Formats: sequence, C-alpha cells, structure tokens
Amino acid sequence: MIDPTYARPETLDDALLFLKRHGADTCLLAGGTDVMVDLRSGKLKIPYLMDISRLPELQGIALWEEGLSIGAGVTISEIYASPLVREHAPSMLKACAFFGSPQIRNVATIGGNVGNASPSADTVPSLLVHETKAVLAGSSGERTVAVENLFDGPYQSGIRPDELILRFILAPARGRFSDFQKIGRRKALAISRMSMAILAERAGDETFRFIRLGLGSATPTPMRMKAVESFLAGKRPDRKTLEEGALLMAEEMVHVTGRRPSTVYKEKAVQGLFLRMLEPLAEN
Amino acid sequence: MKTYSVLPIRFNINGEEVHLEVGAGETALHVIRERLSLKGTKEGCGMGECGACTIVVDGKSVNACLMAAPQLDGRKVMTVEGLGSVENLHPLQEALLDHHGVQCGFCTPGLLMSAQALIQKTPRPTHQQVVESISGNLCRCTGYQQIVTAIEDGAKKGGGET
Repeated sequence: MIDPTYARPETLDDALLFLKRHGADTCLLAGGTDVMVDLRSGKLKIPYLMDISRLPELQGIALWEEGLSIGAGVTISEIYASPLVREHAPSMLKACAFFGSPQIRNVATIGGNVGNASPSADTVPSLLVHETKAVLAGSSGERTVAVENLFDGPYQSGIRPDELILRFILAPARGRFSDFQKIGRRKALAISRMSMAILAERAGDETFRFIRLGLGSATPTPMRMKAVESFLAGKRPDRKTLEEGALLMAEEMVHVTGRRPSTVYKEKAVQGLFLRMLEPLAEN
Repeated sequence: MKTYSVLPIRFNINGEEVHLEVGAGETALHVIRERLSLKGTKEGCGMGECGACTIVVDGKSVNACLMAAPQLDGRKVMTVEGLGSVENLHPLQEALLDHHGVQCGFCTPGLLMSAQALIQKTPRPTHQQVVESISGNLCRCTGYQQIVTAIEDGAKKGGGET
C-alpha cells in the first residue's frame, strides 16, 4: 500500500481551499471507521487524506429557529448522549444506541455515515423522517440539500469533490410518536439487514395527521415510503389499515428494487418490521 | 496548508511522552505494536469488528486498527501495559483471573480496555452497563458470563477508583 499524503486543516477556510485544489484526489477522514477499512483492503487508492476530525466548525448540537442542528463532525456517542436529540429526535437517539459498537460510536461521525452513502447507513432513515437538510460548504459558498436528495446510488453521494458537509438541520419533533428499529444478525456490530424510522403525529380523533416512514438497507439508497405515508394520512391505525399499509410497504419496496434473490425474505421482513413498530398505536 | 507524507507527532502513552514520525495510512495499532513494541494490543480482524485492538484514547475506548496514526497527535493513550504489571495487577485483571474470565487470552487486553474506559467514567457500573461496554469485544472461548462477573467484581474491588 502506498501511503496517501496527509493534510490536517486548522480552519474550515483552509479545508475548503485544499478541496478546491485537490478535491477530486482527496478522501475526507473523520472517525476512520469506513476509510481505514477501505485503505487497508486496497479498495481506496487516493493521493490525499484530509483529516477533518478536529475542525471546530463541524462540532456541536444546538436547537435553532430553523431546526435541530447536528454538526457533521459530531460522533455517534455524542448524539446518543445529547438531551436535545433525546427530546426532539428520539428515533435518532435509538439509531445511535445500536450503531456498530461502543468503540465505533466513540469515533464515527454522522457526517461520515451520511457521506459514505451506504444503503444501510443507520442514521439516514431517521434523518429522512425529520425532513433533514444537509448544509454543504464548497469553494463557491454554502448550499443546502435535502438529505432525501443527497444520494445518487449505493456509496455515491451528490456531494461534490470540492465540498464537505457542515451540519444537518432536522425538523424537531417533540412529543410525537417516533421510533427506529433495525434487523441485523446480532445486536452489536451487525450491518443492518433492514432498518426503519417512523415519525407520526395524530389528531385528537386518533387519525394520523401525518406519518413519515424512512426505510434503510432495503433499497439502493435509504428512502421515504411516500405512497404508504399518503395512504395512512387521515386514517386511524386500526389493524386492517395497518395490515394494508404493511402490504403497500412491501409493494413499494419491490417496485423500487425489482424482484431479487433477497426479496422473498425482505418483503416479509418489511411488513413485520412495520407492524411491530406501529403496534403501540394499533387499535383493535 | 502543509501536507505530509511523513508526519511528526507527539502523544502520551501509558504516562510517557512519545515523539514519532508516522505515515498517513499507518494505523495507531501499527504504531503501538510495531514501533513501540507494546504487544499487549492485539490485531484480530483489522476492520473494527472484534475489539481485540481496543485502546483508551482521552478516556474513550476506540479500535486502534481503525485509527489513523496521525490522529494520535496530542492524545492521551492507554494500552493494557498501562493498566497493571505482572507484580501489581489491576483489580480488573485480578478479577478476570479469580472468575476464570481468561481462556485463550487473545481478547483479554481489548476487553480490559473497554472495561477500563467504562469504570473511569462510571466507577460502579450496572450489569447492563458492563454488558454494553464490552458489546464491541468478541470472545470465542468464555461465553462472556465470567467476563461480565469479573468486571463487576473488579469495579467493586476498587478498579473504578484508580
């Protein structure tokens, strides 16, 4: 293995200047939990590693008027320990509770999890149901992109070579029904076979004012299941409705992926996960 | 901005200041085992799955195999060699012996580091906290029960006070 050249900017301006010149030849390094694995295996051959793990501009969690801001350099452990996230984005807290292992959570960052664009990135379903915007900085300034539109395909993000993620702005959702669950081969250190985040608000008569469903590890990029969302909106969560919703969930998923060898399992699993997660709301 | 093919770094390991020149693609694990000859830290999978290379960096457990060596710069690092010595075992190490928490021993240094990170922060951990703290460490011999009991006991016997 040929060692890449190492750069550690002290400021965001320095980082952006470097990316302007060398962006296409640079891999960003934060927690290293994906990058170091790919460097070791030889999958990643890149002239420059730019270490952004100490950039102060990427740190911090705060509640602003525009939403709940989580810096791209915030670690999964820090998110899990955040009272603000616990209050305003409980599904994100749960996603972080079961993320990798303690050692991984201590260094892995939310920006890295999103930027790596894995179909099974555990933080993304929750970001989707919070209608999260990613704030990107590049040599020509900042731009904001909905996380929903950030992915071009598996491991392909729409982040340009001269850009990095500054922070995520989540629509806060205090006091609503919110959950994240995943299916893996075991509890710790398992890549999700399927993951789902749900955020729902109900009206006084128990009907869904809205429900948002974020599905991970099932489609080429994590995605909102909007057909199911609009089917459920305005309806009460009785068993018949939920079971119809579950079937629609499976149909939508297969519609995106086509029938693959894993479909036999996944179309059952997605229904089971959906029903299990909405069980607390189910009416007889 | 300056770039480096070889980067001078300094960090504290087990109480000693170290100055080294490291490569960008070098791992912290390589530095610890091969450059500093601290062979207590083991390489298992080399990809963050097994926890055999766990070290404590600024109070947190991390996988040394996933940490780039330049990221050691300025950090305070502890490996199993910093925990206790043959003559003077740490209470966690005593407890692992007492409760038969060691069989082949390959996972033991990593487990000790995960346990140490836990009890530095939480001197009297609950059973659940102990189980969670070692959920990133694989052991193929013991079945974990003895290890969990040992960490609980080691914390009680003052491991959490040092």
